Amino acid sequence: MRPAVEAEKLGLPTVTIATSGFTVLARTLARASGIDGLRIAEYPGPMGIDTPATVREKIGARVVDAVIEGLLREAPGSAPAARAGAPSDIVLRGDADEIAREFAEREWTDGLPIVPPTMARVERFLAYTGLAPDAQIGILPAANLRAVPLNVAANAVMAGCRPEHMPLLVAAVEALADEHCNLYNIGSTSALVPFLVVNGPVVRDLGIEFGGQLISRGPNPAIGRALGLMVRNLAGFRPARNYMGTFGYPLPFVLAEDPSTNPWPSFHVEQGFEEGDSAVTVGVTNNWGPSSEPSATLDMSAAEVALELLCREIPKKFRLYDFPTIGPKAETVMVTLVLSPPVAKLLADAGYDKRAIREHVHEHARMPLREFEWITHHTFPRGVTVRQRAQAGVLPPEFMGAPDDRVRLLKGPEVVHVVVCGDPNRNRLMSFEGGHTVPTTRRIVLPPDWSARLAAARR
Amino acid sequence: MQHLEVIAPTGMQLVEQRSASPRLPTLDGRTVGEVWNGVFRGDETFPVLRAELLRRYPGLRIVPYTEFPFFPGDDRPHAQQAAAREIAATARAKGCDALISGNGA
Repeated sequence: MRPAVEAEKLGLPTVTIATSGFTVLARTLARASGIDGLRIAEYPGPMGIDTPATVREKIGARVVDAVIEGLLREAPGSAPAARAGAPSDIVLRGDADEIAREFAEREWTDGLPIVPPTMARVERFLAYTGLAPDAQIGILPAANLRAVPLNVAANAVMAGCRPEHMPLLVAAVEALADEHCNLYNIGSTSALVPFLVVNGPVVRDLGIEFGGQLISRGPNPAIGRALGLMVRNLAGFRPARNYMGTFGYPLPFVLAEDPSTNPWPSFHVEQGFEEGDSAVTVGVTNNWGPSSEPSATLDMSAAEVALELLCREIPKKFRLYDFPTIGPKAETVMVTLVLSPPVAKLLADAGYDKRAIREHVHEHARMPLREFEWITHHTFPRGVTVRQRAQAGVLPPEFMGAPDDRVRLLKGPEVVHVVVCGDPNRNRLMSFEGGHTVPTTRRIVLPPDWSARLAAARR
Repeated sequence: MQHLEVIAPTGMQLVEQRSASPRLPTLDGRTVGEVWNGVFRGDETFPVLRAELLRRYPGLRIVPYTEFPFFPGDDRPHAQQAAAREIAATARAKGCDALISGNGA
């Protein structure tokens, strides 16, 4: 699609071939890049499961006609989907039920009940930022829409957040808008769910849960929901249009660390912040769980078992195969290791810091070359085999090895991230993988009178 | 129930829109380029499409995807845009009148 957009800008007519269900996605992304009315030739159904004969039949019978029509016949332009006007405009009047119904109709909600974003409520949230209500916080991909405190607050209100959550949410939007974060491709059919990691004094200030059952307690669910609504409304990702997870998405969630249960420097310190700073990190994941329970045995320490469990879990995560399938030009991937405080402590006591854990996982998360070749060949064929790429020098020599040789799956230790949180009384760990997006951290800027405001909010 | 007035939670449109380029009057005697992103079986679909287009328009010239820069999986925004611009410029340089891009899913 992107080459087609650039070609159209040069004056060349184009047609983009896309499978059923993805025509809207292609047009939406093209519109976000400034081209309205991109021409699409639809390939019916999911191409991956068609036999070669069926592919030939569909191309010959259906796609070729659409390609010709797309190159020869003018198409009427369509109106831009995003709204014009000021962010403070009153867009709807009615009772709460009418507003909820209309918001759902416009795909502004996630299907759950909302708190109506009246100006009176929104203004209470705005009071927690030092920003003008219409000051630009960032431009969010993929729709390239402008986020300002007013529309951030509207989403926060709808989600059920409290006004004092606003500085955290503004920082999260800054992270989402950062090109380094690369929100652009999270519409993947693999279903990428955004999540937050909150660090620093703001965790206790806001009562954000960092212990047992954290994503389901305290303000974490409302803040996670606000994140999801902002991805929908400020970044423009709408299910079945350009947010194409095959089975949909669980609600975005919020993790948090606290120094009292973390034997290492906090997550945000690794990103260049001070321990006393408050910061929020945006990441994405394809999955949640399972959570293994490392246990000490006669032949292995619990720390050894924990590391072994992590290394055994990672080869099950298909998204991570992208690097060894393609090589240096692969999509970005990220692995988040979530360790409960007892697991973190036992690894720290065994002499591991986060860097050592990352390096261990990079080195030891392996699978037999034979198995890797079979899975990648049969689940996501790319025309060139892994072995051929290795022979061409694109991949390391280990991918030319014997079928039973165990090859590494991760590009490097830097794609592994470690977060310590969860039940302080349980020895559990889990890991989740994401793609396209790089964890991106932003400082949470608090108003000068933060302590007084918090005290007032608690009364 | 209470009468309420609400604002929108959506972001504001910034990108200026332009329509797609004018279409061609015919494919006879024209040159069309192919761009493959390396996934979703383009190595199977483009040869079939190419043969059928040439059967219907014998005067058509097709520049196959192998003659364009590879559009890789690198998903960093600046890398994707640079690759897309290079492909579009290549199409111009090779005398293409139009471009077919695939495969998206």
